[in-house]
Amino acid sequence: MDSLNRHSKALVVALSPDSVRLRRRLLEITKLAGRGHIGPALSIIEIVDVLYRHVMVNPGDIQSKEWSKRDRFLLSKGHGCLGLYVVLEDLGLLDGMDLSNFCSYESNFGGHPESSTVPAIEFSTGSLGHGMPVAVGLAVAAKLKKESWRVFVVVGDGELNEGSNWEAAAHACKHKLDNLVVIIDYNNMQASGKVSDVLDMNPLKDKWEAFGFETIEVNGHDREELKRALNTRNSTSSPLCIIAYTVKGKGIKKAENSSVWHHKAKISAEEIDALTLDLTT
Amino acid sequence: MRQTALQTVFELAKQDSRVVFVGSDLGAGTLKEMREELPNQFFMEGISEQYLVGFVAGLAKEGFIPFVNTIANFFTRRAFEQIAMDIALHNLPVRLLASGGGMVYAPLGPTHTAVDDFALMTSIPKLRVFSPGDANEMRELLFHSLKSSHPWYIRFGKGGEPIFSPSHQPEPNKPKLFGDPRAEILFLTTGILIHEVLEAVEKLRGTLSLPVSALHFPELTNLEFESWKESYQTARKVIVAEEHIPQGGLFTKVLHSVHAQNLDTKKLVQTSLPFAYLHNYGSQKDHLIAHGLDAIGLAKLARTD
Repeated sequence: MDSLNRHSKALVVALSPDSVRLRRRLLEITKLAGRGHIGPALSIIEIVDVLYRHVMVNPGDIQSKEWSKRDRFLLSKGHGCLGLYVVLEDLGLLDGMDLSNFCSYESNFGGHPESSTVPAIEFSTGSLGHGMPVAVGLAVAAKLKKESWRVFVVVGDGELNEGSNWEAAAHACKHKLDNLVVIIDYNNMQASGKVSDVLDMNPLKDKWEAFGFETIEVNGHDREELKRALNTRNSTSSPLCIIAYTVKGKGIKKAENSSVWHHKAKISAEEIDALTLDLTT
Repeated sequence: MRQTALQTVFELAKQDSRVVFVGSDLGAGTLKEMREELPNQFFMEGISEQYLVGFVAGLAKEGFIPFVNTIANFFTRRAFEQIAMDIALHNLPVRLLASGGGMVYAPLGPTHTAVDDFALMTSIPKLRVFSPGDANEMRELLFHSLKSSHPWYIRFGKGGEPIFSPSHQPEPNKPKLFGDPRAEILFLTTGILIHEVLEAVEKLRGTLSLPVSALHFPELTNLEFESWKESYQTARKVIVAEEHIPQGGLFTKVLHSVHAQNLDTKKLVQTSLPFAYLHNYGSQKDHLIAHGLDAIGLAKLARTD
């Protein structure tokens, strides 16, 4: 199946009540802040939620005695952080910190995730192309310590323009990191337009396989497909790449596949109310 | 100096399993013994500095202490953002071992000469910046680094420099004074330039009987101004000599320290490499001579009113 068909399928996936609740909260926060990367956050909600709820071992609970054995999660496309924040809040992993003041001067929650202000965040990101090299370092560290935790890193499709990802991909295979899972949020949109127009990275699956990754394609809004793929344990010593076909702005018709909603400041309450009404149930 | 540094890393790695060495396509024989004896603590990665710095940040985040070696510029220019964001923002204990500081690679041209590294690296909060002057100081600093939770950048000299510092140094990062603390002329310098400065001091004392002293700063991030404030106030002339562009290096740090204390800055004299891409080749020494940073040039500057 080609990427166009896969995107069409991602577009028609109906949202679960969990997915709708998380999106509603995301819009509430954005309404209060009047700004945010809405589109890139909406495309990763199911990926992050399934990871934290059904896949990762002991994620985010820094009080746990097993904290050092947790699976590590990095949001390399840090601008999608609203999608991560709402999942962490929903799971009670924000230690009482107030997400409602997102992006205000006193807030712990900025427009990109920071581990120094939010302990449940594994690593601060923002500038693109940083997550994968760090993830390789974490995965090698787990091997050196003979520990079994895995490393999950979400990378944007536009972010793949950054060469550092490919430097890291080559090294991940050199180090035989079967404890590393790279998830590509393939929403086919970047700031200035379609990924396929700005810099077409296809055939993407072939590229990852040529590097030596075991590669799986999934519908990035289908929770069952995600669960199956993310719980995959490699039979080989290769790292795993999951290409998740998603829709930027998923769930809000006005925002879907729209560059306008990639990032917006000075968003009015009326605009957010209109998006909320538009939220697909 | 590089050989001493690498051997010291091997020594540290034998004592402490958190210590790992990471290189970026370095020469085939690099730390051959360590590679064989401690294969789990030795990594030779590809020519990919952005990845390299992110990779060691990941290792450091999990409790390892990576000592990473490549050519200075490929850290400071190529991977600047990774140093700032992956390492320093997270305050991770990575040690960047920067080969070819200053004009060591003069024959290779401006892509390889590291003349702006102090400016770039001292602009990054949390990162401590070092420029040792001999192999003893290098070795002592590396041992000392295990006590520090901050990231470090260490500029290497060419190697083979004469030894001027003791083999055991309890605080190797502190400024070292050579001569009378109340001298009339005071040289301030860092890195291997201390050897030219000390030679200049000898000349001035010998031929002209000028009361001259020198201060060497192994660390640029903290000049410990209080410890030599009196020498600064006593001196009639303070010459800051560095193998670096005029901006953002030792002179800038000295100026900030002096200004913060509301002291006289007029007595400061700056001598450095020019703010330019240098298209001459030759040796490091050729460039020091051309820009008045050798012992003769420095002595002349001290005599000039």
